[in-house]
Amino acid sequence: MAKKIRPDGKEKVTGRLKYLTDLAFSNMLYGKILRSPYPHARILSISTDKARQLPGVQAVITHKDVPGLNGFGIVTPDQPVLCKDIVRYVGDAVAAVAADSVETATRALELIHVQYAPLPVLDSPEKALEEGAPLLHPNGNVLHRAGFQKGDIESEFAKCAAIVEETYHVPRQLHAYMETEGGVIVPEKDGSLTVYVGTQHGFKDRFQLARILGMPEEHIRVVSSPMGGSFGGKDELNIQPYGALLALSTGKPVKIHQTRQESIRSSIKRHPMKITMKTGIDQDGRLRAHQTTIVADTGAYATLGPAILDFAVEHTSGPYMIPAVDTKGISVFTNNGVSGEFRGFGGNQVTFALEGQIDRLAAAIGMDSVEMRRLNIRREHDLGPLGQQIAETNGALDVLQSAAAVYAEKKPSSQNQDRWKRTGTGMAITMHGGGLGFGRMDPAGGRLSLKEDGKIEISFGFEEAGQGILAVIETITTEQLGCAKEDISIMIGDTSLVPSSGSTTASRGTSMVWHSLQRLKKPFLQKLLTRAARKTGTKEGQLSIGPGGIWENGECRLSFRELASEQAPIVISTQFDFPVSPDPIDSAHFLYTYSGVVAQVEVDLLTGRINVTELHQSLSAGPVVNEMGYLGQIEGGGVMALGYTLMEDVIMADGHYVTENLDSYLIPGIKDVPFNLQVKAVESLPAEDDYGPRGVGEIGTIAVAPAIANAIYDAVGLRVSQLPVKPETVLKSTEERGVLHGSQSSNSGGN
Amino acid sequence: MSEKKSKKVTIDMNINGEKVETDILAADLLLDVIRNNLGLTGAKPGCLNGDCGACTVIINQKPMKSCLTLAIEVGDKEITTIEGLLHSPVQKAFVDEFAFQCGYCTPGFILNSHALLMNDPNPNKEKITEWLSSNICRCTGYKEIENAIQAVMTKTHNKNDSD
Repeated sequence: MAKKIRPDGKEKVTGRLKYLTDLAFSNMLYGKILRSPYPHARILSISTDKARQLPGVQAVITHKDVPGLNGFGIVTPDQPVLCKDIVRYVGDAVAAVAADSVETATRALELIHVQYAPLPVLDSPEKALEEGAPLLHPNGNVLHRAGFQKGDIESEFAKCAAIVEETYHVPRQLHAYMETEGGVIVPEKDGSLTVYVGTQHGFKDRFQLARILGMPEEHIRVVSSPMGGSFGGKDELNIQPYGALLALSTGKPVKIHQTRQESIRSSIKRHPMKITMKTGIDQDGRLRAHQTTIVADTGAYATLGPAILDFAVEHTSGPYMIPAVDTKGISVFTNNGVSGEFRGFGGNQVTFALEGQIDRLAAAIGMDSVEMRRLNIRREHDLGPLGQQIAETNGALDVLQSAAAVYAEKKPSSQNQDRWKRTGTGMAITMHGGGLGFGRMDPAGGRLSLKEDGKIEISFGFEEAGQGILAVIETITTEQLGCAKEDISIMIGDTSLVPSSGSTTASRGTSMVWHSLQRLKKPFLQKLLTRAARKTGTKEGQLSIGPGGIWENGECRLSFRELASEQAPIVISTQFDFPVSPDPIDSAHFLYTYSGVVAQVEVDLLTGRINVTELHQSLSAGPVVNEMGYLGQIEGGGVMALGYTLMEDVIMADGHYVTENLDSYLIPGIKDVPFNLQVKAVESLPAEDDYGPRGVGEIGTIAVAPAIANAIYDAVGLRVSQLPVKPETVLKSTEERGVLHGSQSSNSGGN
Repeated sequence: MSEKKSKKVTIDMNINGEKVETDILAADLLLDVIRNNLGLTGAKPGCLNGDCGACTVIINQKPMKSCLTLAIEVGDKEITTIEGLLHSPVQKAFVDEFAFQCGYCTPGFILNSHALLMNDPNPNKEKITEWLSSNICRCTGYKEIENAIQAVMTKTHNKNDSD
């Protein structure tokens, strides 16, 4: 198959593509947001007089200027747009300014005088759960509890030959999208508002903004695409409410584009979690009991914290069939920023813990870890992890076998010529649910039109954040309709022009584009052929759709332009829901993807530095839509996860960010990526599967950390239980066990 | 602090082969001037700290971070932004090799790669990674970016061989 180039390529390599933060309008003002200097404080007074008097300042707003609901949050609007009496994290907004220049707006922020009375800072879930801790929200400091139980955990533990108990700590990861949050909000002459700000769900932003502004949704247009990356981070509202309030109050377009410091301070992060797992295995290598507690630091506000905990609970036992499972999770409010949506959605954290358990258990009973996985893995007809029926595939075993083959090939090469270095190989597998889950509104939809100009327009309410949804839409549409890419135009990311398709999250885009085309194709083609038959005087049965127009006997009889001319457009729409399990189990997923990862590392015994030299990912996610797009998602996801494993942690101290910019938050650069980066797609699905290609936006990030951790153990005997793995940890461990002096190694050449 | 307005000065710039005059403050970053005064938005602000390279432009044949350069410094030096890079083989290679996803870092990577190949048409792998380590990309695994440079080199060689 020829490589298909991306439709957005030319604009991107020439710099012609206007991101929404590149837009400029005449009379445009610049907005800045004043955020709390305290992680937790009472606001005693806010004085904006001096700021208002500064020449060039056109508006200063506070909580008094929010006409509608002073709150946002995709599910629970518990985050104040502008705080009135309490601030709960250092990103909480207290005031905002619009001025003639960024400099003037920045100066104006300094002139806003806010008196605070600092309150005790809850900088860990443990502190927040202590008796007598100050309550961050009316219902207390617990955002959400979730759990899952099956089987008799104690009697299963009693049958075990080995039980491993470990507590795993995972860090606060920054999305680090290259384009920070921003855009322009434009008040239109008719009183409506156009919001040019990137997001992962334009219609949801419109809903939330309408609630805040006290405006009907129809008066708000959200243009939400393209974006310079998002990875879940721009799913929740960010600067939109401030830009909108300032634009309405000045009557002029207002641009806000956060600096990296402002972004790190205010944006959501991946949930740090403390995960304790106690897992038992019998003497035959069968997993029998798996008990987990998850404590998630959700920060100051809800956003999608509850759903993320639910997701983590669901994925706690991964692709394994375990007779007794007991999982309890708690998501706790603290003053540590805000945790929320991030590629993988809670799966990354629990998979790191689970796959660490698997390797420890295999070692405990002296069994090959691949064999042990094979013995316990789910099969095609097995129920899903919450006991729900899921779309049946053999994905788990497929990726295990694919990864096992790579592992078998790589493992023996774990030898190193350099006496100061050790090489190790590790593997991990996972399964990952797509869509939002049972009991959650998860509508999708799309529209096909033959426009007056002869273009076939395909439209969705999705956004292009770089993941390649445009390429997916182009490929699926042309393949399904049989036309050429020049025949179609793609419309996304503009609430005034596209149908609602649900969110561009949860690996659902590709899947929903394919499902939409399945529904749209037949009625649309039928209408085209009926009209063509009338126009040409030919029988419908002799006509077909082909590149450029309507074909008969191997020749193009009628171009799409001729077909469209002088007649009303042909429009076919569809609305449906993301497929869910027939079993009504709250939050349970139905369409899963699977991955098997093999990592090879080289550990420098003198510096403790870990170098990932190879990363092989095998995936089962149905047919590949666009080969290079698929590769890009998995490779890029893998490298992002490599950062999570070895480098990335947004450090906080007493509720304040220590990390402020990309000089103290290092993400992988070209020198950090594995020399050998391989992706293998196992595309086969059961013959009766009619769910098509699954999305692969997240699956490439899930099982990388445990594969690297297991490789580190193989190299130097360090059992990793905390991410990121720091050189100091490696050195301390190898020093204690005398690895450097050859006592633990077979290849040090004596010493 | 007094609220006196800072004075603007007029400078001549030599950008993408054109002479332009623009009014700046002495403290204005080159990045802000090319984006806001000249409307050339291909150079992106990612960190304003020299860490990410999204703002990279070419100044007198060298890749420079325009967030670390004052506009007043550039004088009559020749500046090339992504908008002035016409038909560089690097651009085509980035499209063909899928060396971009969100595209926000792409102009910086392309200008850096273009400058590398101007400086050394035949860099080895070490040199390529050395040059590209000044830019970061959050979407890709970098492999395709390196492939794009290799593809340009291969094409150039093939062309030279047949000449």
